[in-house]
Amino acid sequence: MAVLLPALSGFGCGDLPRDPKHTLSRVLERKKVRVGLVENPPWVLHGADGPAGAEVVLARRFAESLGATPEWFWGGEQRHMEALENFEMDLLIGGLEASTPWSKKVGLTRPYFVERMLVGIPPGSPAPVSLKGQQIAVKAGDDLAASVQKKGAEPLQVPEISPNVATAAADWRIAQLGLVPTRFELGAKRHIVAVPPGENGWLRRIQIFLATQRGDVPGLLQRAGTGQ
Amino acid sequence: MNAVGTKYDLPPDREATINRAKRVEWASLVFLLSTVVLMWLVMGSSQTMKAMWIEDTLSLIPTVSFLIGVHFRGRPPTEEYPYGYRRAVLVGFMCGAVALFGFGIYIALDSIMKLIAAEHPSIPTVRVFGVHIWLGWMMLAVLLYSVIPPIVLGRLKAPLAHELHDKTLHVSAAIDKGDWLSGLAGAAGMLGIAFGFWWADSAAAAFISVEIVRDGYQNLSNATAQLMDRRPSDVETNEKDPAIDHLQDALNRLEWVAKARVRLREQGDILIGEAFVVPRQQTDLLARLDEARQLAGTIDWRLHDINIVLVRSME
Repeated sequence: MAVLLPALSGFGCGDLPRDPKHTLSRVLERKKVRVGLVENPPWVLHGADGPAGAEVVLARRFAESLGATPEWFWGGEQRHMEALENFEMDLLIGGLEASTPWSKKVGLTRPYFVERMLVGIPPGSPAPVSLKGQQIAVKAGDDLAASVQKKGAEPLQVPEISPNVATAAADWRIAQLGLVPTRFELGAKRHIVAVPPGENGWLRRIQIFLATQRGDVPGLLQRAGTGQ
Repeated sequence: MNAVGTKYDLPPDREATINRAKRVEWASLVFLLSTVVLMWLVMGSSQTMKAMWIEDTLSLIPTVSFLIGVHFRGRPPTEEYPYGYRRAVLVGFMCGAVALFGFGIYIALDSIMKLIAAEHPSIPTVRVFGVHIWLGWMMLAVLLYSVIPPIVLGRLKAPLAHELHDKTLHVSAAIDKGDWLSGLAGAAGMLGIAFGFWWADSAAAAFISVEIVRDGYQNLSNATAQLMDRRPSDVETNEKDPAIDHLQDALNRLEWVAKARVRLREQGDILIGEAFVVPRQQTDLLARLDEARQLAGTIDWRLHDINIVLVRSME
């Protein structure tokens, strides 16, 4: 019972779980969020005036919700992850996925957005019965080419995908191009953001915020993709 | 046709006790399985939960061993298995003990390394039916759920183990005690994380792992002793089983016996073995052997299949 009582009161008072390194209370006090940026369009990219991209918008909104402003730090994933691991950064964005090999070193949110990778076809063309032997356009250098090959189709590497041919891409991109999605799914990418390890109160705060943004994400991605 | 041992039947009152023990162990099994599933669902990256999950999973071993043993031990001996099936369970028991011991050491080292490396456990928040719940609270709930049944079940098992002289059942009761102790330690660790003490998780796990190693060692030495046909011992105190001396004394009291020496081993819950007897005279020995054999059956309900061996002298 000695264990149970504080647990129950913990549900009520709401400031639990706490951060061992006090990230949340420091952000609220100093009104600054240190955000690490790893370039990865359309999630994070260099815009005409400062950082842009879907996750940059989300980070800006999150900081705003705490009455704080973001401080941006551009860099590579290795350096930024190490900074995060050592509490030199509060948040790291860059189109990270739940499968990141850094999961044991830093804190990860639960996936806040899932991109489904689909095959889309031009409107009016007949839906394929099977992908076997079909030629499917894939943006050159994308790992989707491997998934297309696994399905027995032939990936056609193109510099930029277009609405004119059968194409493999994320669901929001298929919709944006005006392609018609088929029933063929090539996998899913589960997107997360990273925080310092063990800062469970901070992690909880950002997860609750991201849950409110889910519906906005495809729109943000589409705008970022067209360079807006 | 070769010599095949005779079938052993428990006295009727013990039969009722066995059935009661079976019910308790089935309840244990159902409860343990439910904890194992629940813990697996909420485990996440918590070191405590990993330790508890392994402990609870391996706690299934004595319970399952007992149930399998009870099932098989009633089978009569056959031509191929002339000593019967009462030791069938020992194989599984030994493997389980090795696993428990090994995992305990692994968790202990893993937790200590994490403490040294100052790893901070990240525990996310999940959304259940639209409500955001920190996974740590769910872990705490599961840990508290896992504490209560072993307190009850362990207390039910201990006297049954004593009455039935069943070592598997005894180990199962001992492990129940370890389970609820480590459940409480785990809950304390989880609360520690909630209050911002990152080390609480690994510290609790290290404590639990000590418990697992202890369980493992206990089982291992028990199984080894049984495999080596160690002298029968009391279920709880581990001291020499009085049945050995009782039988020897009774044989020595027979007027045709000059000297008797008894050697016994455990066959699960029952005792088998040999009594070496030096007779005073050599007349009418067959009838006297029958008398001695019948006497053995009346000394203790566990004595079974005792071979009386006539020898000229003890040297």
